[in-house]
Amino acid sequence: MTGVPHPRYEVVIGLEVHAQLRTRSKLFSPAPVTYGAEPNHSVHPVCLALPGVLPVLNGHAVELAIRVALASQCHVHPQSIFARKNYFYPDLPKGYQISQYEEPLATGGWLDVRMPDGNGGERKRVRLHRIHMEEDAGKSIHDAAVAGDATHVDLNRAGVALLEIVSEPDLRSPAEAAAYLRALRSLLRYVDASDADMERGNFRCDANISLRRHGESRLGTRTELKNLNSFRFVEAALEAEIRRQASLLDAGEKVVQATLQFDPASGRTRVLRLKENADDYRYFPDPDLVPLVLSDAQIERVRKTLPEQADARCERFQRQQGLPEEDARLLCESRALADFFEAAAKRHGDAETLVNWIRRDVLHALGEHGIEIEASRLTPEALADLVERVRQGGVTAQSARALIPELVLSGGDPLRLIQERGLEAVSDTGELEAAVDAVLREHAGHVERLRAGEEKVRNFLIGQVMKRTGGKADPAALRRVLAQRLGEGGS
Amino acid sequence: MPAPLGSLRECREALDQGRTSSAALVEQSLARAEAHAHLSAFVRLRAERARAEAQEADRRRAQGEVRSPLDGIPLAVKDNLVRAGEETTCASRILEGFVSPYTSGVLERIEAAGAISIGSTNMDEFAMGSSTEHSVYGPSRNPWDPARTPGGSSGGSAAAVAAGIVPMALGSDTGGSIRQPAGFCGVVGVKPTYGRVSRWGLVAFASSLDQVGAFARSAEDAAHVLDAIAGHDPRDSTSIPEPAPSCAAALDGDVAGLVVGLPREYYAADGIEPGVLDAVREACAQLERAGAKLREVSLPHSEHAVATYYLIATAEASSNLARYDGVRYGHRAQGAHSLSEMYERTRSEGFGAEVKRRILLGTYVLSAGYYDAYYRKAQQVRTLIRRDFEQAFRGCDVIATPTMPETAFRLGERTEDPLRMYLSDVYTVSANLAGLPGVSLPCGFSEGMPVGLQLLAPPLEEARLLRVADAYQRHTAHHLARPPEPA
Repeated sequence: MTGVPHPRYEVVIGLEVHAQLRTRSKLFSPAPVTYGAEPNHSVHPVCLALPGVLPVLNGHAVELAIRVALASQCHVHPQSIFARKNYFYPDLPKGYQISQYEEPLATGGWLDVRMPDGNGGERKRVRLHRIHMEEDAGKSIHDAAVAGDATHVDLNRAGVALLEIVSEPDLRSPAEAAAYLRALRSLLRYVDASDADMERGNFRCDANISLRRHGESRLGTRTELKNLNSFRFVEAALEAEIRRQASLLDAGEKVVQATLQFDPASGRTRVLRLKENADDYRYFPDPDLVPLVLSDAQIERVRKTLPEQADARCERFQRQQGLPEEDARLLCESRALADFFEAAAKRHGDAETLVNWIRRDVLHALGEHGIEIEASRLTPEALADLVERVRQGGVTAQSARALIPELVLSGGDPLRLIQERGLEAVSDTGELEAAVDAVLREHAGHVERLRAGEEKVRNFLIGQVMKRTGGKADPAALRRVLAQRLGEGGS
Repeated sequence: MPAPLGSLRECREALDQGRTSSAALVEQSLARAEAHAHLSAFVRLRAERARAEAQEADRRRAQGEVRSPLDGIPLAVKDNLVRAGEETTCASRILEGFVSPYTSGVLERIEAAGAISIGSTNMDEFAMGSSTEHSVYGPSRNPWDPARTPGGSSGGSAAAVAAGIVPMALGSDTGGSIRQPAGFCGVVGVKPTYGRVSRWGLVAFASSLDQVGAFARSAEDAAHVLDAIAGHDPRDSTSIPEPAPSCAAALDGDVAGLVVGLPREYYAADGIEPGVLDAVREACAQLERAGAKLREVSLPHSEHAVATYYLIATAEASSNLARYDGVRYGHRAQGAHSLSEMYERTRSEGFGAEVKRRILLGTYVLSAGYYDAYYRKAQQVRTLIRRDFEQAFRGCDVIATPTMPETAFRLGERTEDPLRMYLSDVYTVSANLAGLPGVSLPCGFSEGMPVGLQLLAPPLEEARLLRVADAYQRHTAHHLARPPEPA
């Protein structure tokens, strides 16, 4: 039902995304930010909340947050305030989380999101309610295999810098929500603010969702879905919650304001707590921190460091390189991929051919190895050289393609590899004639059928010759020799 | 009974002239502390470390290397400043056995200056109190009359200086916790401008009010201690980024033409003990005779100061003390069957009654539905109080008030009446709300107990404050009076 409007209700969705900022140290502590470190090894007295410690704001985190705010057209406030959100939990060492509450860093921006094809593939402006900085909590480990009947606490993540990006309730379907998330992830990566990797938990999503009759202007009662930790879950969870709310409304019952969790196993949403039981977080400005004051000059300095935005770049690729929109968009989804393409295109003028190689071979190899373009050892120059070599006929496309996975994983100079492995295309007529003759002898039956006019058999024979030459036969030369040996044409 | 230690200046001169050594001073100090065990001024002595540091100081001095006017001289430290490898408890069961892995900014500085801490002093638990009775170690006693309180919360530090155990001590002042015990014990106690001294490693009570300061026998001595500990610390975001000018260098004894403001509201208040009022008026007259001018000033929002203070201080405390949950360090209740049971029992067992009272108050103050009426309103009144002082200081250079409306009360007398205890903070809390520097000086006696004169100055004017205090002491001898030696 993706993209298909609900028959009876309009779906209203707003998303809260927590993105981990790409800083070396934590938001208020000198402890390093790590991934996969020994539990409780990336810590410092500040993030352990030892008696007497005080927070000091990480300036780099502020800069990254401003980048995101500017890239999403937000108004960055000249003053914002860090507040304490008070609650007790073992993975929250201070007993409060430092966040921004009444006066956030930025408000009022938007993302122009290309909506899924079911919605006509149009762009839609999704407004941002606010962007603010806060610190992450640690991790409670209830896993019996690790902790027995106890709970273990790992504070490596405690205090890591997060950016919370809250959208207005402008999304009208799970598919739109997913499209918005992808656009936001792309933006975060574009401005180098976050790895925005859902699997590593540094891009997390909560959703607010309500239904109302078509044409109704008042919002329905909303529920909050927590911890939607993959793109697949986001859509599935929202679909499930739409079904749940719709069946309540259909039965004339009321939706109760609540926080829910999606259970992927059952495909259903489950109520965690009702709003009446909501915690009172006793927010107040953190007296250990001074207001964050940003001058126009500071904000403008950050603005100057922003890279070209994905949308602008996508349009430029279409205009300058003559790429089809679909290809340009694919490349611009990731800044690293777009950078890769641009560098390759600089060396090899045929942008369209390059894109084909990237789409068909490079992305495939990355997927096979499970790595991102950033981790690839294949340089744009190497790809450009390889594609050029194919164009010149120095290597067959087949041999070249076979090299890509290795280049992605280990790097190297493709031209040297071709030479070292003897992958040069065989266009030497003598060698080709011998191979063709052998194939024609072995497959006399097929030769008969071809002569009888069954043209598709020709490809079979070509394939057999290719196989014999280890894929190195230059296709044009091969066709010529085959025709000659079959006595065709007569040239 | 070992003789009382002299003032910081006397100790320094004796060292400079080779009449004594750091080792001898530390021995004397430790012996004196033992002999005054009945005061419960100390909760922990660091005898062996202090002796080793004294030898180090004597070696330095022998080689002609003297780090500061404090070098090699004994010091006492309130038990809420952490030091790496040593226990800090804030006189609370919940921090029993807690050993910090890092050292506070203040102790780093004063140790770099060569001062030698002989031990940690008693205090009201988490610095919440005005009598040092709210301590897991039991109450401290006033050297002038052991049946009375030394004041609080830095009561142990004040008693240690008054009893001649050490010539200087560190304390912290959130609503008067240095000035009030200084007044009660007849010593000098100075609270610097908020942000002048690093809070890094000071166990927090109320973050926007807490400030580390010093006790000494004279304003001059206090100036030297303050010079050693003041200055910017990038680990404290509220630390003032400018360098602190020397206070000791500003002591020229000159108060000619200086205008001393007397807040109308403070002197008109009911409930000032007559002997206290007399002593303070006489001190002001003395300043006038020394060349200063007295002028009445007004602090119209004074009557709201105590209420404002207790709203803000408890609100911040309720949040600051949330970290004592038994999860990572300190006391943890045994045998709890659930997380909430562990929290409840840990905190019920770990905190004393006064701390619990303030956590409850503060939690209420910040609660949804009450925040605007209490916390936000208190912050607004705080701004008005700050403006009162800005306005008053347009017409005067310093403000003179009683430190307390009374002298030291008897132990146990107020423990059942916390409200009365809170109300006696009326003259001290405003300096914390406005972030001002303040000092309490001995200015005589009322019925045999010391009376404190409080001087307040505009922000960052510690040097002016201590110049006036020092000038007063050049003309008077109250600060030289000593409590009777115990039998």
